[in-house]
Amino acid sequence: MSASDVSPTAPGSDVLDSPMQGVWPPTPAMLASPVDPDLSRAQAKRLRKAWETPRGWRHVTAVNNTHVGKWYAMTALAFMLGAGVLALLMRIQLAVPENGFLDSDRFNQFFTMHGSAMMFLFAVPMFEAISILLLPALLGTRDMPFPRLSAYGYWCFLIGGIFVLGSVLFDAAPSSGWFMYPPLATESEGIGADIWLLGLSFIEVASIAAAVELIVGVIKCRPPGMRINLMPLYAWYVLVVGGMILFAFPPLIAGDFLFELQRSLDWPFFDPDRGGDPLLWQHLFWIFGHPEVYIIFLPSIAIAAMVVPTAARVPIAGYSWIVLSAVGTGFLSFGLWVHHMFTTGLPALSLGFFSAASEAVVIPTGVQIFAFLATLMVGRARMILPMLWIAGAVAIFTAGGLTGVMVALAPFDWQVHDTYFIVAHLHYTLFGGMVFPVIGGVYYFFPVIKKKKLSERLGRWSFWLCFTGFNICFLPMHLTGLLGMPRRVYTYQADLGWNALNLVSTVGAFVLALGILVFVWDLVRPKRHEPHTPRNPWGAGTLEWTHDVPDEPWGVRSVPYITSRYPLWDQPELLARMDAGRFYLPDAPEGLRETMITSAVDAVPLHVARLSGPGWSPLVAALFTGGAFILPTFKIYTPAVICGLLAIAAILFWLWTATARIPEKPFKDGGLGLRLPTYVSGPKAPGWWAVFITMLGDATGFASLVFGMFFYWTARPDFPPPDSPHADPVLSGIAALLFGAAWAATRLARGLNAAGLIGAARGSLLAGPLLALAGCGALIAAILHLAPQTHVYPAMVWALVIWTVSHVLCGAIMQGYCLARSLAGRMTAQYDADLWNTTLFWHFLLATCLIGTAMVALIPRAM
Amino acid sequence: MAQRHRSLWHMIIAPVIWALHFLAVYCFSAIVCAKAAPFGWAQGGVLAMTAVALALIFWQAVLAWRQWDFLDDGDHVHERPTATSRREFLGHAGLLLAIVSFIAVTFVTLPVLFVGDCR
Repeated sequence: MSASDVSPTAPGSDVLDSPMQGVWPPTPAMLASPVDPDLSRAQAKRLRKAWETPRGWRHVTAVNNTHVGKWYAMTALAFMLGAGVLALLMRIQLAVPENGFLDSDRFNQFFTMHGSAMMFLFAVPMFEAISILLLPALLGTRDMPFPRLSAYGYWCFLIGGIFVLGSVLFDAAPSSGWFMYPPLATESEGIGADIWLLGLSFIEVASIAAAVELIVGVIKCRPPGMRINLMPLYAWYVLVVGGMILFAFPPLIAGDFLFELQRSLDWPFFDPDRGGDPLLWQHLFWIFGHPEVYIIFLPSIAIAAMVVPTAARVPIAGYSWIVLSAVGTGFLSFGLWVHHMFTTGLPALSLGFFSAASEAVVIPTGVQIFAFLATLMVGRARMILPMLWIAGAVAIFTAGGLTGVMVALAPFDWQVHDTYFIVAHLHYTLFGGMVFPVIGGVYYFFPVIKKKKLSERLGRWSFWLCFTGFNICFLPMHLTGLLGMPRRVYTYQADLGWNALNLVSTVGAFVLALGILVFVWDLVRPKRHEPHTPRNPWGAGTLEWTHDVPDEPWGVRSVPYITSRYPLWDQPELLARMDAGRFYLPDAPEGLRETMITSAVDAVPLHVARLSGPGWSPLVAALFTGGAFILPTFKIYTPAVICGLLAIAAILFWLWTATARIPEKPFKDGGLGLRLPTYVSGPKAPGWWAVFITMLGDATGFASLVFGMFFYWTARPDFPPPDSPHADPVLSGIAALLFGAAWAATRLARGLNAAGLIGAARGSLLAGPLLALAGCGALIAAILHLAPQTHVYPAMVWALVIWTVSHVLCGAIMQGYCLARSLAGRMTAQYDADLWNTTLFWHFLLATCLIGTAMVALIPRAM
Repeated sequence: MAQRHRSLWHMIIAPVIWALHFLAVYCFSAIVCAKAAPFGWAQGGVLAMTAVALALIFWQAVLAWRQWDFLDDGDHVHERPTATSRREFLGHAGLLLAIVSFIAVTFVTLPVLFVGDCR
């Protein structure tokens, strides 16, 4: 190792714009010098005070990742159990032919809700929960970068989940299948479909919030020295999955938006009589739906990537290969969506593209399995309990993957489409790819979470019950499907040869349920009288095992300096130094919650971020956001709008009081001779990255609408109809110019503000929203003569305008917010993070506005 | 070049080319077929796009191979806390991604050779 290798800040090396002052990296002598025990105790006391969790009824205002993560995980588990009960009830109904246990409508509600809840209320939220809970521990950081955003996401999830799953108790649940195909779902009576659309859109917002949080967490909150090649593999998977959520969920939100416009206002997006096309929904749904499968699978297999090296007692074999696997799967999973639509009559050529991509994704997916096996082979593997679950997971997932290779071939899929073969296939992938690794992960990480160990005996019972029960239930379904039994039928005749197979599946389902119950009992049984776990019971090498036993609220006592992939194996003094407060941020002299922000690739310390503490605003904002989404289900519009406004007010209050606070001093001592800025703005700030990431997702949603316009153009010979009126070109042009001017005003304000011309900046920030609002008026006036109920073309134009205008209104609020911050002295020439973020938002918004007006006024004339 | 050595974005260029190629191929053939142009156009267009995509991915693979610099020290683990290790890791992962992207682009092109018309 050459000297230049270990000191990246040597002159001419790669840290050019870091504003830190002092020594980096720390010298061995600095790391070895002891900390005065009295000082350490005093520091710990201050730190404990700063990170104290509110007690009593104020406990609900807690935002610590350890608390929010636990609530999140337990809520997702509860929803999973509810959805599992629905499955058992369906299995009872199907146990014998011509059974009358459930009627057809209730059966329809149950399978719809089983699928929807398992996907939206269990699998994806469980990833978010586990990541929020564990990521800071894995990265040796204090908390997630936006603790209140996690809390907001959790409360949205809880409210939305209870609303959606609760509907099944009132016989009001959606009943058109978890993918809500029109026309069945657009025509369905009652409010079930609306509950699905609005309730799940609401939860998707929470998912995107979590994705933003997790991506920023991985790229900006790693401990100093943890370069990208040293990052735990779990963090790699989180990064990939966060990115996937950004590109997968927005198309569904765009689809929900069109769908709900059709259901409430009768705009004919999916109605072929008026130019619409039900297939657009299938496209938008599965552009979401297939990546979703990998969004569920990757973070769960990431748990395996943490357990396997510990079980094998060697570092993971093929780290780069696993990164390839995660990233490659993340990309290729976006080229598979049409394999859910092989029977819709699309041209053979299109089917061929997606069939080919579906086969190609096997390569990266398989690579990681082989890497795990290689690690076990080169190591001295112990079959610890978590490893048993992972081994079961790999076996089951591989079987599911092999049937996946079969159904990716269009001709085979035509034979088994919508049969129990598919039910068997998808449960093999999801149990092997999600349920088993997650339970294994709970057994593995439980000592970090609760400082106790789960029962070895109950764990092995649970595993063998689940494993045998699962296979008894789902293995016969392959055959049931090949014998022709369709999915989603509430009963069947006795003479079709399916009786014995169905009975066996039902028995298996109950054995599986028993196994899950044993696990849940192990999880929730009182453990007050049991001793604390040792700190590192499995002998693992990664940072989460530096956790404090008994629990401390601060995440880590001091933020370590990392030089290895397995610091606990390779850095022998690490734990003692962390505990003594030898490393970074060992103190909280200002009584504030702080964490270290480092550079994205090399984890060079950049900034001490002040995190937001407990507060009511996330909870209140989530309640009103819930009202805004839930009330329209019941056609209660005015209170819904009021809720929406109150939600915006609550969020503004939260931002105003808790974000971009001007620090008492521009630099502070970060420990180990390092002085770091306490406030940064622009691309150095985590908040700027959060806006950037959010807007990438938002742009994907908008692109989905634009895709819709082109989709109709290729799918329908009469789109746009030859005699249809178009948007007014002059007014549209004026709107585009006004939007451009509003963008320029924002950008100008940032420059003026930074130059100290505060008055001029304020003037520009005042002009901005006025220009933006005038632009909205012009754009609406340009299309007022188009009647959206008559044909899909005017409806699509209106949808684009609604999307654009609502975003411009957000942009105007942000401009006004910056103006108010400036007037209140909370934003100055030096402390201008709000204005940087608003400008970034407006960069994206300008693209939306220009493309939007072009799609409305220009492109259709050329079609 | 130095930029590339510490950039996550460069690592994923090859799969991004795969994604763009996939989207272009799918949209192009859909439009050609929907607007009743001859199938030969779809075929020719897709093959041309594939040639471009494969060439770009190959170029990325070469850059990534150089960045990985395997023959220099034979390192394929990259677990050291150094700028060299990080650079080689990003190159190694980038190369592997380029290989998978190359295979995936080839796979996705095969249908235009086997499917004879727009139906």
